[in-house]
Amino acid sequence: MDPVSGFTSIHMDAIKEVGNIGTGNAATALSRLLGRVVEMDVPVAELVPIYDIPARYGSPETPVCAVLVRTDGNFSCSLIFMIEEDKAETLADLISPLDLSGMDEETQRQIRDSALSEQGNIILGAFLNALSVITGWVLPTTAPAVARDMLGSIMDLAASMFGVIGESALLVRTNLTVKGLDKELGGTLIMIPDPGSLEALLSKLGVL
Amino acid sequence: MPQPVHVGMADLVVSKHPAHLVTLGLGSCIGLVIYDQLSKTVGMVHIMLPDSREAKDIPKPGKFADTAVPLLVGELIRLGVNRSQLRAKMAGGAQMFSMPGKTSAIFAVGARNVEATLKMLATENVRLVAQDTGGSKGRSVEFDSDTMKFTVKTLGSGTKEL
Repeated sequence: MDPVSGFTSIHMDAIKEVGNIGTGNAATALSRLLGRVVEMDVPVAELVPIYDIPARYGSPETPVCAVLVRTDGNFSCSLIFMIEEDKAETLADLISPLDLSGMDEETQRQIRDSALSEQGNIILGAFLNALSVITGWVLPTTAPAVARDMLGSIMDLAASMFGVIGESALLVRTNLTVKGLDKELGGTLIMIPDPGSLEALLSKLGVL
Repeated sequence: MPQPVHVGMADLVVSKHPAHLVTLGLGSCIGLVIYDQLSKTVGMVHIMLPDSREAKDIPKPGKFADTAVPLLVGELIRLGVNRSQLRAKMAGGAQMFSMPGKTSAIFAVGARNVEATLKMLATENVRLVAQDTGGSKGRSVEFDSDTMKFTVKTLGSGTKEL
């Protein structure tokens, strides 16, 4: 049987709670970094048919900026912080002390990518720290990787990882919103656990 | 132009002329078209993974390169096309994130998709006439049965026709 679709509501609640604690820590970290209030939604843990993933979080052709880190230890997963490209620029500029306006486009992009990569690293690292505290596991993380591309192309990753074992993916999703700016500024944090590592997590949490 | 038909993940569509087939936001996945220029019979499949051998069941054969290519060829032949007339064009198979070290193997599924699709086309004796694969950028593709043009769109670097 498809191992993921065999999960019951107890399992899903436990995974959602992990998402809740992780995102809480991530929101706090982003708030400290920006010196602003950051609001988070209640995380959603959901089983999504893999074929629906590219259109699940918006139009598949929406230009987004995504920062990804992975942990490979007792629990392995990919974490993505994704933000629409025009909003990503605003977010990057919040921590950049430089005035980019006179620079050429390529230099601007590199500086912003670097700022976003650092923000993503802090947000996602905070998420994993919380997970490490709950489980007692050491969760070493990779350096962040940044991609600017179509939403659907980015989320192919989740679809193909879960596609190997079955027809559904288990994803945990939360929206983070930075308050006090003229324009609403928010991104989505998505946890993509490696399909084979969920059992270890659930048994550590005592629900399997 | 006919209404565009969206070919979602693991979907497989074949059609007689006129047809306009579209797949949006390919990352590591493959958009493969096989067509017969004479009868203007066309088909597209959105391949996600290279190999079905580890799958326990296969509800959508379009998902894997090794099941998708023979099925697409079979469906076209069923519509009356001569196998020797078939030509193929493909795009996709990017690696969206690059990371140092062993973790990158997980992200290299795009390259394996390309390799497996090429191998299956050779096995099925279908000649590949154009491809735009690999790299690190996502693609949207369109195929029109009137012109047999395969249009590949990439964010930032525009559109090309294969």
